[in-house]
Amino acid sequence: MGILEHRFQDNVIVEKLDKLLSWSRSTSPWFFQFGTACCAIEMMAAAASRHDLMRIGMIPRSSPRQADVMIVAGTVTMKMALRVKKLYEQMADPKYVVAMGSCATSGGPYWQHGYHVLKGVDIVIPVDVYVPGCPPRPEALIEGLLKLQEQILNERPLTRKMA
Amino acid sequence: MNEDQDKLIAELVEKGLAGDMEPINEIEDRVLRSKAKAALVKAKRSAKPQETEDHVKQVSDKSSIDDKSLSENLNENIGEMVNEKFPGSLVNENTETHIQLTPDHWFEIAGWLKSEPSLSFDSLQCQTGIDIGENTLEARYNLHSMKHNHCTEIRISVSINKPVIPSVEQIWRIADWFERETYDMLGIEFSDHRDLRRILLPDDWEGWPLRKDYQVQETYHGIEVPKMKEGWE
Repeated sequence: MGILEHRFQDNVIVEKLDKLLSWSRSTSPWFFQFGTACCAIEMMAAAASRHDLMRIGMIPRSSPRQADVMIVAGTVTMKMALRVKKLYEQMADPKYVVAMGSCATSGGPYWQHGYHVLKGVDIVIPVDVYVPGCPPRPEALIEGLLKLQEQILNERPLTRKMA
Repeated sequence: MNEDQDKLIAELVEKGLAGDMEPINEIEDRVLRSKAKAALVKAKRSAKPQETEDHVKQVSDKSSIDDKSLSENLNENIGEMVNEKFPGSLVNENTETHIQLTPDHWFEIAGWLKSEPSLSFDSLQCQTGIDIGENTLEARYNLHSMKHNHCTEIRISVSINKPVIPSVEQIWRIADWFERETYDMLGIEFSDHRDLRRILLPDDWEGWPLRKDYQVQETYHGIEVPKMKEGWE
């Protein structure tokens, strides 16, 4: 998409194409299957049969190259922060990040005295949706993911951005 | 025919149990020979459990007598024995709750604690460290003997300026990671440890977090470590 992205003036055809593209993106945001702490358990529960993320088009992928969404599920330590950044950089555009749980949004219980914890994953990578909770229930995560889908649906990938 | 055979096999088994295998091996009929051997194995197997039970009973009887004399004042006895074997290693004569040692002969003492039959501390339950202030770091070892079911605690103090203790990783293999953690958190160096790296923190982390004078580093690879975001107090 790199060649075509944001290259066209706004007209009817581009608008229709944009809608098609963003609709197809929003209905199949495959997520990167990795967890850093206890939130990962809830993410697994969300992906398993009872909550079934696949019904909103989300399939776990084990490689960053095949994934569109990175769900950062859990505490990110300083040691892990560099690796999270590296994994994010390996994902292909368009890419989105969901910070799941208090730790990934703000450091959680380690916000003051946790010398080894990153105070929110947004310090190293851009975050699209924050899901609060410690850990958030699968319903909360699904709510966050639906918000993300809404955001993707409203994007206009081809239209030139107004300066 | 069958009854005769049975009788013959019974006789052979009796002889075999007594240690005389020749009559069995001399049988020319293959089938009969294998039958006799199978019967012998069966007889031996059924005889075994009783033997081992007796054996265990004897051992436990014996050790319980030892235990009584030793375990009543286990720490004091160990203290006396250490003083005798490794003079100068005992720091504190008072061994009521733990045994305080100098680091100098710790490797030899540890080997002895494990191999001495009346102590046989075959399991290192925990190894940890503590900063007790006044520029002193302390490594602590909780030892347990599976055989005698007794335990003790060893403490070794070192100066914060030269925190070196001999590693016991080659005596109790579990000490490998224990000592790496103590090194990671307190910076106690375990000499002759074969793989002394940080275990939890990244390799290029600065400082020893569980020391009382620890100051968090400002940045790690360009990331602000003690970060305060807007609106936080």
